[in-house]
Amino acid sequence: MDFELKYSPEQEAFRREVRAFLEANIPPGLEEPVDPADLSYEQYLMRRELGRKLGERGWLFPTFPKEYGGGGLPMELAVVIEEELDRYGLSLPPFYNTGGTLGAPCLLVWATEEQKRYFLPPILKGEVRVWQLLTEPGAGSDLAGVKTLAVRDGDHYVINGQKTFVGSLHGADWLWTIVCTDPNGRRHENLSWFMIPADLPGISMTPLDLLMAGGEGGASPGAKFTVYFDNVRVLAFNLIGGENNGWKVATTHLELEHGGAGSIRRNRIVDRLIEYCKTTYRNGRPLSQDPDVRDLLVECYIDAEIGRLFNLRNYWLRHTRRPRTYEGPQASLHRKVSGLRIAEAIVKALGPYALTNDPTWDPSGGHLEVFHRASIVATHPGGTIEIQKVIMARRIGIGRAVREEAGTVV
Amino acid sequence: MDLALTEPQEMLKATARAFLERECPRQLLLELDRTETGISAELWRQLGRMGWLGLGIPAEYRGEGAGLLDTAVVYEQLGRGPLGGPHFSSAVLGASAVLGCGTEDQRREILPRIAAGEQILALAYTEPDYGWGPESVRLTARRDGPDYILDGVKLFVHDAAAATHLLCVARTGDGPDPTAGLSVFLVDRSEPGVSVRTLPGFTAGLAEVRFEGVRVPAGAVLGEPGAAWPGLSRALLKAIPVLCAYKVGGIEAVFELAVSYSQTRVQFGQPIGRFQRVEDHIIDIVNQLDAARWTTYEAIWKLETGRPAAASVHLAKAVASEGFYRACNSCHEVHAGIGVVRNYGLVLYTKASRSLYSYLGDPKFHKRRLADALEL
Repeated sequence: MDFELKYSPEQEAFRREVRAFLEANIPPGLEEPVDPADLSYEQYLMRRELGRKLGERGWLFPTFPKEYGGGGLPMELAVVIEEELDRYGLSLPPFYNTGGTLGAPCLLVWATEEQKRYFLPPILKGEVRVWQLLTEPGAGSDLAGVKTLAVRDGDHYVINGQKTFVGSLHGADWLWTIVCTDPNGRRHENLSWFMIPADLPGISMTPLDLLMAGGEGGASPGAKFTVYFDNVRVLAFNLIGGENNGWKVATTHLELEHGGAGSIRRNRIVDRLIEYCKTTYRNGRPLSQDPDVRDLLVECYIDAEIGRLFNLRNYWLRHTRRPRTYEGPQASLHRKVSGLRIAEAIVKALGPYALTNDPTWDPSGGHLEVFHRASIVATHPGGTIEIQKVIMARRIGIGRAVREEAGTVV
Repeated sequence: MDLALTEPQEMLKATARAFLERECPRQLLLELDRTETGISAELWRQLGRMGWLGLGIPAEYRGEGAGLLDTAVVYEQLGRGPLGGPHFSSAVLGASAVLGCGTEDQRREILPRIAAGEQILALAYTEPDYGWGPESVRLTARRDGPDYILDGVKLFVHDAAAATHLLCVARTGDGPDPTAGLSVFLVDRSEPGVSVRTLPGFTAGLAEVRFEGVRVPAGAVLGEPGAAWPGLSRALLKAIPVLCAYKVGGIEAVFELAVSYSQTRVQFGQPIGRFQRVEDHIIDIVNQLDAARWTTYEAIWKLETGRPAAASVHLAKAVASEGFYRACNSCHEVHAGIGVVRNYGLVLYTKASRSLYSYLGDPKFHKRRLADALEL
C-alpha cells in the first residue's frame, strides 16, 4: 500500500510547465472570494478567459480524448494541473460548470459520434459554460418524478416546465437538462436528457434568495435560480442518449455527483479552526488550551481525516477503474454529516464569535461564518443526507430485491 | 499511490481466511470462548505451524520477518473469526517489547521460543489506577543484592492465564519524569509470589496479576534497567495498528452478519433490510468499517515507510475502538433477540469489542495523545 501520490520526473517536468503557464495567465484578484456570492462579473470573465486558455491546451478537461478537445493526458498529469490550480484556490474548471464536469462524461458514454463532435469541443475547450438542471419544485429527492415535459414536434422537441435550485452567478451558455418525454410511460422509462442552448426563446430565470447557494461539487455557484421553459423549441439532435433512456444516463451523472469521483484535496476548515484556536486568547490563554475546546478540535480533526481518506480511496478506485458500490455516496454522506458536526463544534468552541464575519471581531476573515451557512446548505445539493443513505443501502444489497450497480463513468 | 495489497499479500489474506474457515468453525470458537485461555493446545500448535506466532519476528530470531502490513493482513482475518487467545499478546506485543527493549542475547534467547509457540508472553502493564501512559506504572521493583523484588498488583492484564511468562512493567527508579526509571521484567508465571486470577464477567481473558515479594535475578530485566520506555513505547506504537486491523476484521464480520440477516429475516411480509430504519444501522456499520480500515492502514503505511506516525496511530486506535464497539451495537439492533443467543455468534464480537476498547489505550487516551501530536 502506498497512500502518497508519487511524482515521476515526467510529472515534475510537466508541473514546471503548468506552473509557468499559470503564473503567466492568472492575473491577481482571481482567487475564490471567502463568500462565493461575492464573485464579481469581472472576476467571472477572468476565470472564463483562464478556462479558454487552459482549454486551448487541452488542460481544462485533461483526461478527455484529444479528438473532442480534451488533453488526452493520463490521470497522473491531470492531477498535476489540479494541484497547481489548487495553489491559487482554484479548481478545474476554474468556474462553476456542473453541466460540463458532470454532463461531458455523460456525453462521452451516451451521445452519438455526431453529437460528441458537436457538443464536446466547446465544453472541453472552455468556450461554453454549462449548468446542470435536475431539481424541480415537485422533484427533489425523487428525481425520476420530474414533470418538465418535452414533446416531439418534427425536428424539434417543445419543452415546458420549470427547474429550481439550479445554476450560478453570471449566467450559462447551455443547460444540461433532464425532462419527461412520456408522461404516461413507466417510471424510469420516460425520461430524456437535452443539451439546451440557454438563449433560446421561451427560457427565463429568476434568482432565489438563499441562506447560501450550495455547490454540487467543484467551484461554488454563488447563486441559484429558478429556470422557466415556456414552449421552448429544441432541436431533436440535442437529445442525448436516446428518448426515454434518460434514467440510464442519469446513473452516470449521479454517480459522479454523489462523490464517486473522489478527491485528493483536503478540506481546510479544520486547519483554519485549529489555527484560530491556537492564536486566539480568551481569559488569558489560547483557546486551544481549554480542555473542552481541545476535545472538540480533536473530534473535528478525526472527522476531517476520515473524510480525506474516503475521498482519497474513491479517487484511487476511480482512477484505477476498480469496481465501486456504495463508496461514492458514503463519502458524500460523511461530508454532509461531518460538516454539520464541525459547524456545531465551532459554535461550542467559539460561542457567538463563530457567527460573525465582522473584521474587528473575526480573525478567520469570514471563513468560519461562511462555513457555518455552507454546512447547513450542503445537506441537500447532489442528494440529501437521506438520499445518500438510500443509495448506499441499495448498493450494499439491502434496499431492494436486486442489488443496484454503480453508474457507468469514465 | 496504490491502496491495493500486493499479490503475495492477497495470497496471505486468502490463506488466512481459508485457515479460519477450515479450522475455526463457529462452534469451536464458541467452545474456546468458554475456556480461560481462549485457545486450545492444538489450535496454538497450528498457529505456530502457519508461522503466525513469529510473524513480526525477524528471520535471524527464527521468525517470519513479515512486515507490519503483512502482519495486519493476517490479524484482520483473525479478527473476522474472532479468534481469541494470547497470539497478539505474545507474538505481536510481547515480541515487539522484547525486540524494542531486550539486549541482543535476550532477543536470541526469547524470540525463537515465542515464534515456536513454546513461550507465551503477556504484557502486565496496567494497574488499579488504570491507564496506558508511563505515569500509570507504579508497581515497584526493589533492588536486593543481585536480584529485584517485585511487589504490586497488575489489573486487566490480557491473556495472563494463557501465558507462560509475564512481561511486568515496573518502576526501578523514581523522579519527576514518568518515562524515566521504567523497566520490563520477564517473569515466569510459575514463580513463587505470582498469582493470576481471571476476572469474571463480560470480559475476554482479562486477569488480575499479583506480584507478592517476587524475587527475580537482575538478568530478568530486558535491556538496561530504568531505560525501558523508549523501546516499550515504540513497541506499543507498532502493535496498536495490528490490534486495529483485528478490529477492522471484527467490524467486517459484523457487517456481513447484519447484511445477511437483513436480507433473510422477514417481518411485515418483507426482508427487514427494506426498512430504512434497519438500513440506517447497517450503513452506520459500513461507515465505521471503512473509517477504521483506512485510518488503520494509513498508520501502518506511515510506520513501515518511516514517516512520523504517532498522530495516525492515535487516530486509528480511537476510530477503530469506537467503531468496533458501535458496529456491534448497530448489529444487535438489526438482530434483536437472535443477536443475544450465544450460539448465534454475534456476542463473540460484542465481547471482543468491549474488552479491546480500552486495551493499549481507550479512545479518550488516544484522542488526548492526538491533541498532543497536533500541538494543540
